[in-house]
Amino acid sequence: MARIGTDEWVSEQELRTEYYTGLTAPARRAFDRVGPGPRFFAFLGICALFPFLTDSAFLVRVGVNVMLFALLALGLNIVVGWAGLLDLGYVAFYGFGAYMYAWVSSDQLDIHLPTELAIPVVVAASALLGLLLGLPSWRLVGDYLAITTLFFAQIFVELALNLDRVNLPWRDEPLDLTGGPNGIPGIDRMDIFGLQLDDVRDYYFLLLILMALIAVGLFYLNDSRTGRGWRASREDPLAAELMTTPVNRLKLLAFAMGAAIAGLTGSIFAAVQTGVFPQNFEVVLLIMIYAALILGGAGSISGAILGAIVVAAVPEILRTPDNARWLFYGALVAVLVATVRPWKRLAVVAGAVIVFGLAVHGLVAWLWPEGAAGESPGGAFAGLLDSWVLIPAENQETLGNVAFVLLVAAVLCLTLLRGDERLFLLVPTIYLAAFVWENRLIEQPSVTRQLLFGAILVAMMTARPQGLLGTPRVESPV
Amino acid sequence: MDFFVQQLVNGVTLGCVYGLIALGYSMVYGILKLLNFAHGEVYMIGAFIGYFVLTALGGASSPALPVAAVLILMFLAGMLGAGLLGVVVERFAYRPLRNAPRIAPLISAIGVSFFLQASALLLFSAQFRTYSTPELIPFSTGIEWGPLRISLVRILVISSAVLLMIALTLLVSRTRLGKAMRATSYDREAAAMMGIDVDRVIVATFFIGSVLAGAAGVMVGLVFERVFHFMGFVAGLKGFTAAVIGGIGNIPGAMLGGLVIGLAEAFTASYVSSTFQNLIVFGILIAVMLVRPTGLLGSPVLTKV
Amino acid sequence: MRKSGIWLLLALAVAALALVATGCGGDDDDGGAAAPETTATDGETMEAVECTASIGIMGPFTGDVAAIGQEQLNWAKFAVDQFNSEHGTTFSLVEGDTQLDPAQAATVAPQFVDNSDIIAVIGPAGSQEVDAVGAIFADANMAAVGSSATATNLTEDYETFFRVVPTDADQGPTDAAYMVDELGAQNVLIIDDQSSYSTGLADSTAAALEDAGVTVERDSVSQDQTDFSGLASSVGDDTDIVFLPWQVAANAQLFGNQLSEQGKDAIIFGSDGLFSPDDFKIAGSYVSSFAPDITGLDDPAIQELATAFEAEYGDFGTFGPPTFAAATVIMEAAMALCAGGEEPTREAMVDQIQQTNMPESILGQPIVFTDIGDIEDATFFIFEVQDDGSYTLVE
Repeated sequence: MARIGTDEWVSEQELRTEYYTGLTAPARRAFDRVGPGPRFFAFLGICALFPFLTDSAFLVRVGVNVMLFALLALGLNIVVGWAGLLDLGYVAFYGFGAYMYAWVSSDQLDIHLPTELAIPVVVAASALLGLLLGLPSWRLVGDYLAITTLFFAQIFVELALNLDRVNLPWRDEPLDLTGGPNGIPGIDRMDIFGLQLDDVRDYYFLLLILMALIAVGLFYLNDSRTGRGWRASREDPLAAELMTTPVNRLKLLAFAMGAAIAGLTGSIFAAVQTGVFPQNFEVVLLIMIYAALILGGAGSISGAILGAIVVAAVPEILRTPDNARWLFYGALVAVLVATVRPWKRLAVVAGAVIVFGLAVHGLVAWLWPEGAAGESPGGAFAGLLDSWVLIPAENQETLGNVAFVLLVAAVLCLTLLRGDERLFLLVPTIYLAAFVWENRLIEQPSVTRQLLFGAILVAMMTARPQGLLGTPRVESPV
Repeated sequence: MDFFVQQLVNGVTLGCVYGLIALGYSMVYGILKLLNFAHGEVYMIGAFIGYFVLTALGGASSPALPVAAVLILMFLAGMLGAGLLGVVVERFAYRPLRNAPRIAPLISAIGVSFFLQASALLLFSAQFRTYSTPELIPFSTGIEWGPLRISLVRILVISSAVLLMIALTLLVSRTRLGKAMRATSYDREAAAMMGIDVDRVIVATFFIGSVLAGAAGVMVGLVFERVFHFMGFVAGLKGFTAAVIGGIGNIPGAMLGGLVIGLAEAFTASYVSSTFQNLIVFGILIAVMLVRPTGLLGSPVLTKV
Repeated sequence: MRKSGIWLLLALAVAALALVATGCGGDDDDGGAAAPETTATDGETMEAVECTASIGIMGPFTGDVAAIGQEQLNWAKFAVDQFNSEHGTTFSLVEGDTQLDPAQAATVAPQFVDNSDIIAVIGPAGSQEVDAVGAIFADANMAAVGSSATATNLTEDYETFFRVVPTDADQGPTDAAYMVDELGAQNVLIIDDQSSYSTGLADSTAAALEDAGVTVERDSVSQDQTDFSGLASSVGDDTDIVFLPWQVAANAQLFGNQLSEQGKDAIIFGSDGLFSPDDFKIAGSYVSSFAPDITGLDDPAIQELATAFEAEYGDFGTFGPPTFAAATVIMEAAMALCAGGEEPTREAMVDQIQQTNMPESILGQPIVFTDIGDIEDATFFIFEVQDDGSYTLVE
């Protein structure tokens, strides 16, 4: 990672001669030596192999979702990460691309363009829209631009909901443009140069190819004059303008390119879902794309892709209680391993947790038998946990709720303590976490998903504000 | 005429609520340049607390104490609870990110928002709760003065909102804390150098902003009666919009922004069409932004060269 | 620098764990069933039949219509528990949260298809979601029994989709007939809430009303709206009835309050979404529902069920009992297959469900499916709200 305050080139040089220690040193050194190109192709190779490793259409579908997110994050990266414009209306471009594709490839307006023509039309139209919506950026800066673009996003949803009864003077019946709340179902599948794309798998590969092309294209764009111009106008627009960087035009270009990528993604989304509905494009999606980008590290291409993987895949994993359980306990163990060092201390803490749990369980079973008589909901390694976690037979919900509030308080306290005190509190906290999990959270996987997702966002941001693969930046104090 | 005045009252009530939420946004932004997306959830929790206090005191149909006392307790509890929540959120989600690029606390705020929403769903279940205000304060009580017909609840809401706003303005302009807040919002480092405890000022700002949001929550519960876990999301968006329209960072601007949105909503819903209400309101707002790029009362952004 | 390494390692470790989990979890997933509770069985305990399977349920369990989804989920859990304790079967429920978003539904559906334990699905809850996943389920021969998706075309378009509730095409004319015949309406304002459930029903009712010569005005409002005073004030003085095919009863309550606050006389006529004795209590209004108020039905067995449910989960509205019925249909079909010595495969389930013939159900009417999967002799129930907030059946 680059050091704050130093020139990029200098810090890259420093990185190359950095001395790695520890078990992972040889691997990391080899990784560095390989360089971004081969690394990227290796990643693409793994992705390409993925559909062949599994029979599950669900996993391929998740893969498709991940790549849709990745493309969106890449497009947003141009606007937010490189050009530094806070665009809260990005989802409108996505939706516009999807609806535009629906218009030219379905029965809604009775236009059925061949895919080779439809996609360029959609991309061009989206870029044009991006240009139009980018015009306010000439007058508005910062948060004011943000709010105006947010209006556009909400106007888009409103239009999608209400343009199903457009009264035109030359038509008897009102024109149904968008299908209203019912959306536009029955969109043609894509057919590129004779290749019919019917299966989810086909779209997976299409998206993979597109993602690879766009990522490579963006990588070179970043190194070009335009990329440098964006960086300059992000860091200090006034200075950039004085150095003859055409800031306004660059802003428009950023908007247009971001919109074009979003439109392209939208068209593929429409084809995959064979329908578009207004609910697909609400503000919540925008928040998720932002989360993906920032988590991964704004301004970094691999960061955008990594963030998309995290944001799109983690909620799916958390859907089933079994998987969620693996993830939960796995994450607990991983966090312990990462934060409690050296090994001896870790062993002591782990042992303490187990002993504490058994002790509490035994005590409660002895004093109040109903307190430990409940049954575990079953699932992965449930038998192992039965004698460790407390599952009361009555009042499960109330106790669980109380424990939940206590848990949140305990976790917050943990962040305040240091050293040995922290370890002392850690043991009962972990036990409490398992208690809440088994009693309350596992019963409501849908709610737990959201809870954990929010908690992960906060934790990752506070621990690493620059995102997973971003560079630490210092913004000029306002 | 009747109709117009009625809509005016509706718009002002709505505007006061939005304004209170917007105030919290504006204050926090002024000091930290942070858009606190979790603010809407604080408002939601305030509404829930008010509901639980009401239920604990016997519910709307048979309160254990006189109505006035019940209302005061609800407000106090809601405001305090929301304030405390705001302080906790600041301490753990925003303070570690004090010096990070602005977008990091934004995502943290989004995370907090998801977390609070899901927690409310987990702890309180998805059921809608109603304040059942007509049982507490019947509709018929109110003022009828010429074309004006306002129910007591609305009078209550509008007047308490106005009182709170006046109190806030006095706090900011006349007290030492207010002066410290203003100084910190101009230049945090210089304020620290002048001996102002910046951390304490920030905590105070969050507390006050969240208290106002909590009050707004209880008010919404009283006038519009529905309390559910998702209400913070939409209200938060509108409050944020109001804050920016008025000029973010600017306290009278936030109140004005809230009123603008409230009145726009009320008038378009009744005079134009409910279907296109949101569209028209957004159109108006975009027009406002294009005409005054820094908000209605905002000052032009000066860049230090 | 070392710290960043640890973080990357952590992320990789968790990701690896997750991949392992998803890979393994896919096959031996047996769902997150609630801890089985022993509730008193009503009527005779039948012979225990050995039958194990998973039933999927799709609905909005989080998000802004979570109230509806959670009610459906609770009734489904209740149905499974009751059935298991009564018949000795071991059915379990697998949740799939869709937040009423068709895109999420399109992700949950393949997940259910992949899970070989799942033999049938309850839901999806929204008509658009059915549009998004109907083909997926049809291709996988997976039966989906809906309890709230009322768009008319669904059962026809998707062969494995059934539903236990009537369609918009039935409800519209029924409501219109009541409004014209019993309430003598001549001027009706229809306000939909911009959801597909709402507009479908609104269109159907508007058509029926216009056929009967009534003046119909249309308006729409967003579900997110905080304040309905503007809407209330736009109701004309000569409007007899305001028809609200809304999903959120509490919104209608507020609207009704504001109507009377402004001194308007129009009567509110609502649809199933408004059926919620706790949330919607405007005296003098009418609510039409695809399910009867089961607490008002004569059958003691049904009353016991209602009381048992309330004891465990709390109050309920109109979306719950149909979900109970849908779950029962599926479980009865599965049990019939098991008792006949057959394996309850998905294809077998589709056929068996098509042949469902339940003379009694929690909905107070027999459940028999037509060729395309709709319920035969679908009836609608219209209730009037009394002064004390209770609902009485009027038709």
